[in-house]
Amino acid sequence: MNSNHLAATIAKKIIILIISVLVLSMITFAMSRLAPGDPLVSYYGDRVERMSPEEHANAIERLGLDGPMTQQYADWFKAALQGDYGISFKYKQPVMTVISGRLINTLLLGGTGFILTFLFALLIAVLCAFREGSLMDRIICKVGTITSCIPEFWLALVLILLFSVTWHLLPSSGAYALGEAGNLGSRLEHLILPLAVVVLSHLWYYAYMLRNKLLEEIRQEYVLLSRAKGLSRRSVMWKHCVRNLMPTMISIMAISINHILGGTYIVEMVFSYPGIGTLSFESAKYHDYNMLMILVIITGIIVIAGNMLGEIVSERIDRRMGSTERLEDLIERDKSEEVKHHA
Amino acid sequence: MLNPQDHLFEIIGANQNPETMGVKEVSQAGILRNLRIKRFPVAAAAVLLLIILGCVFCSLFTGEDPFRMELTHINAAPDRTHIFGTDTLGRDIWSIIWYGGRRSLFIGAFATLISTGIAVIYGSISGLAGRAVDSVMMRFSEILLSIPSLLLIIFVQAVIGQRNVIGISIIIGITGWMSVAKMVRTEVKRIRDSEYVLISKMMGGNLLHVMRKHLAPNFAGTIMFMVVMNIRSAIVSESTLSFLGIGLPVDIITWGSMLSLSDKALLTGSWWIILIPGVFLVVTLLCVTELGNYFRGSKSSLHGNL
Repeated sequence: MNSNHLAATIAKKIIILIISVLVLSMITFAMSRLAPGDPLVSYYGDRVERMSPEEHANAIERLGLDGPMTQQYADWFKAALQGDYGISFKYKQPVMTVISGRLINTLLLGGTGFILTFLFALLIAVLCAFREGSLMDRIICKVGTITSCIPEFWLALVLILLFSVTWHLLPSSGAYALGEAGNLGSRLEHLILPLAVVVLSHLWYYAYMLRNKLLEEIRQEYVLLSRAKGLSRRSVMWKHCVRNLMPTMISIMAISINHILGGTYIVEMVFSYPGIGTLSFESAKYHDYNMLMILVIITGIIVIAGNMLGEIVSERIDRRMGSTERLEDLIERDKSEEVKHHA
Repeated sequence: MLNPQDHLFEIIGANQNPETMGVKEVSQAGILRNLRIKRFPVAAAAVLLLIILGCVFCSLFTGEDPFRMELTHINAAPDRTHIFGTDTLGRDIWSIIWYGGRRSLFIGAFATLISTGIAVIYGSISGLAGRAVDSVMMRFSEILLSIPSLLLIIFVQAVIGQRNVIGISIIIGITGWMSVAKMVRTEVKRIRDSEYVLISKMMGGNLLHVMRKHLAPNFAGTIMFMVVMNIRSAIVSESTLSFLGIGLPVDIITWGSMLSLSDKALLTGSWWIILIPGVFLVVTLLCVTELGNYFRGSKSSLHGNL
C-alpha cells in the first residue's frame, strides 16, 4: 500500500516533469525562431551574402529552418527523440558533443557550491539560534543583509583583484592551467575562487532563512518540555530542533537549486570557467539559438527534477509536508535577501 | 521572621545576582527588537535620496562632460583633479558615476513598473478565472520560474537583441513578473469571494472597477516588499548583462557598462575602476533592501523556549 502510494506519486511527478519540459521546449523553440537575426549569418558568417539563391535555400533546409514553425518544431522534436538536438551554429558540431564535456564542470562547481552553502548555512543558523539576539547574531544578520546586496559578478571581480592581481595567490580564469587538464591540483586551485563566490554569495541568505525557521522551531512547546525534563540546550537543539528542521531545509534546498545554478552560471562567465554557463553566454553573443535552447531546457530539467526530488524526500521524512505550495509562499514572504535568481 | 517551617525549604539565590541565576535582564531595545517593531529606515532613505538627487542633478555639479575622453589621462589613479580617477577610456569617473547612476536607477524603476504591471494583470486574471485556466496559468509561470532569471534574460536578449536603455528595461521587465504574479493570484483568490466584491459586482461594477477599487488596494501591501526587491534585482540584472558585454555598450554609461571595462582594469591593476562603481551599486542596493524590509510584515513571539 505504502510503496504503491509512493510509486503513484513518483509517476505523477514524472508526468508533470515531462509535460513541463515539453512546454519549455515549445516556448524556447518559438522564441528562437521568432528572432529577427539571421541564424545563417552565425553559421556561415559573411559568406551568406555571397550565396546564390539555391545555395541559400539549401542551407536553410539543411539547418531545418524551412517550412511553417509547427512543422519545424515537429521535425526538431522527432530528431530530439533520437538524441539529435541539432548543430551548434558556432561550433559546427552537434550541440550535445559540445555540451557533454562542459556539463560535468558545471555540475562539479555548482554541486560542490550547493552542498557547502547549505552545510555552512545550517551551522550558522544553529549558532545564531543558540544565541538569538546576541551581538554575534545581530552582526551575522547585518553582514547577511549587506552581502546579499553584492552582485555575484562584482564579488568575483573583487576577489580576483585581491587574490590574483594583488597577491598573485590564485589563478583568475579557466578550469586548469595550460596543458594540465589531468592535473588534479591545478584543477582544485582553479576551483577555489569560483567556489568561494558561489558559496559566499548565497550563504547568508539561506543561513538567515534557516535561522528564522529554527527560531520558529525553538518556540515550540516540546522544547520547553525537553528543557524541563533536564535535557541540555545543545542536545535539544541537535537532537530535536535540527532534526525537525530537516524537511523544511530539504524543501528550501530544492527551491534554491534555481538560484544557485543561476549564480554558478554568472560565476562561470566571470572566471571563463568552461561550463554551460559560459557556453550559454557565448551562444547568446553569437546568436547560436540551437545551443541556447538546449541549455535552457537542460537547466529547466535540472531545476524541475531537483524540485521534485526535494518534494519526494521531504514527504518521505514528514508526511505532513503535503503541499509545497504553502512552503513556497512562505519562502517568498521570507525573501528578504535575494535574488537569485533571483536571480 | 523565621517560621518554624523554614527549615523545610531551601532558599536559593537570596543574595545572588539575577544574571548568574539564568534570569535574563531584558533591555527596552531588546524588547523592541524582539517585537520586531519596524522603525522607518531613516539612514537608508536619506542615502538613497542623496544618490537619486545626485544622479538627477548631476549636470549641476560634475562640471565635466561625461563623454569627454581625455586621452592623455587614461587609467589615472584618483588624485586632486580626478577624485575618483579616470577609466581606461580616459573618462572622469566622478562625473560618469552620476550620469551612469541616472540610467541604472531608471532601468531599475522602469523594468519594475513593467514587471509589476504584467504581474498584476496576469495574477488577477489567474485568481479570478476558473480552476482549469488558473492551474494552466500557474503552471506556465512555474515553468518560467524554473529557469534562472539571468539565463532567461540572456535568452530573450539574444533573441530580441536590444542594446538600449528602454529595450533592456523591457526585457528585464518581461522576464521578472512571475513571483509577484503568484502572490497577486493568492491574494485575489483570498478576497474574490468576499461580500464587498460581490456587492460591487451586483451594483454593476465591471472587472476593471473591481480590480482597481477592491482587489488592488488589498494586495498592494502584500506585494510591496517583492516589488521593491524587484527594483533591486532589475538593477543587478542590467549591471550583470552590461558587465558581460551583452547588455548596454560602453558608450551608454551605466554602473554596469562602467564595470565592463574591468577586464582591462584587472590587467593594469586599476582598482578604482572596479571598486568605485561597485561600491555605489552595492550601497544603492543596500538602501533599497532596507526600505523593502520596512514593508515586510513579520510576527514572532518574544522568547525562544530553548
